[in-house]
Amino acid sequence: MSQAIVVTSGKGGVGKTTTTANLGVALALGGSKVVVVDADIGLRNLDVVMGLENRIVYDLVDVVEGYCRLRQALIKDKRVDGLYLLPAAQTKDKNAVNPDQMRDLITALKEEHDYILVDCPAGIEQGFRNAISGADRAIIVTTPEVSAVRDADRITGLLEASGFEKPELIINRIKPRMVARGDMMDIPDIIDILAIDLLGVVPEDDYIVVSTNRGEPAVMSDTSRAGQAYRNIARRIKGEEVPFMDISEKETIWSRLRRLVRRN
Amino acid sequence: METTQDVVFKGTKEGLYLILNAKQDFEVLKEKLREHLKKSEFFFKGAPDVILETGEEGFSLDEILEIQNILAYPYGLKLKKVKHRERAERREPETQRRTVRTAAQDKPREVSESRVAERPRYASVSGRLPDTLLYKGTVRSGQRIAYGGSVVIVGDVNPGAEVRASGDIVVMGALRGLAHAGADGDTNASVVALKLEPTQLRIGDVIGRPPEGERSAGSEPEVARLRDGMIVVEPLEGVRWEGDR
Repeated sequence: MSQAIVVTSGKGGVGKTTTTANLGVALALGGSKVVVVDADIGLRNLDVVMGLENRIVYDLVDVVEGYCRLRQALIKDKRVDGLYLLPAAQTKDKNAVNPDQMRDLITALKEEHDYILVDCPAGIEQGFRNAISGADRAIIVTTPEVSAVRDADRITGLLEASGFEKPELIINRIKPRMVARGDMMDIPDIIDILAIDLLGVVPEDDYIVVSTNRGEPAVMSDTSRAGQAYRNIARRIKGEEVPFMDISEKETIWSRLRRLVRRN
Repeated sequence: METTQDVVFKGTKEGLYLILNAKQDFEVLKEKLREHLKKSEFFFKGAPDVILETGEEGFSLDEILEIQNILAYPYGLKLKKVKHRERAERREPETQRRTVRTAAQDKPREVSESRVAERPRYASVSGRLPDTLLYKGTVRSGQRIAYGGSVVIVGDVNPGAEVRASGDIVVMGALRGLAHAGADGDTNASVVALKLEPTQLRIGDVIGRPPEGERSAGSEPEVARLRDGMIVVEPLEGVRWEGDR
């Protein structure tokens, strides 16, 4: 039974695209057949993050308008088997597609793939409406900032009003040390406000910047902590019980020393 | 509203006139045009080139391209000219002269309108020379320049931007986005850039992309052309052009 999952947030810059790319790769590495769909028409990014930009010939709008067949527009990932990208158009805007067309598209994709991950644009307008139509599940990405959580709350309300009964939450870019010091919103604080199920927590990781610039999602790295977190989330999406990873950084002699030096 | 008047075809000596009511919503108009074509498919088979006539409002470049697409697939009709009725734009027959047009800076979307006009024919020097669009400025991500002739960009073409020409493309700057020369199937078309590091290159119906991993970008001007069905990039210096081109 295949599933379409929309990755959304309301606020921009919290990591929807990074999350979509990483979960797509992680699910495909786990043996599923996956399509990641970039619904951010006019501001496409997913292709860049996945390092597939130069392979684009046809895009989502071409498919919807009937200029090409769906299969022609799907770009096979260059590293992972069973992973495909359906890129957004860059020279059109959100109004080039309507929710009914998106629904048909997702339905068609479901025929041959296990998971369809839709990267939703920021905002709550047409682009959002398009991205959520046809999806069975919704993942909300937020960061531990008041503004992002506020927008996540708004999105949760809109999703529930659109018939998504249980949106799930990913808290991204958490900095364990700041949380420990009480300088950053804590996970329970966020859950308390949003009151939805937590799917995973992704620690802040400098490697994400490197991987984004290289077009290689972080899940492909064995050492990236964010990558590990995304692998765990992917397993949870498939229904496995995976314990939450310990995000607090182990204090080594060196880090304690550094901290003491900094304090003085 | 007299809906029947939105789309009208008229056969004349010059060719097949398509008169569209630009006041009508463009989506509605497209749908009507499709219907109209479907109904009279047989009539249009092997028809001459189409001349699009609009009221004062005219259409944007994107819209004209869409109309062009609808006519082209699957009916094989070619949009030859765009005329504005009110302004009674007449192009004098400039058979011997090379025409170069400039587009205002920062307005790639508005490039064209009447410039989609006349498709150029590649002929000997004594014949008509092709139209060229000169664009000054940076073509940024999401912007698209499409032209039924050759295009010269004085500036850069950034990643995510698209330049499409039925003739050649010359970029007096860095080409980092997508360039499609010979978009109507001219396999002799070429792409020249001072810094040729495109996301993707297309010439005729051949698509090429730079080899994975390498950031080879030579510091010298380069030219990309088709050779034996493959896109080949070589330094511009010392390149010899064949025939009369």
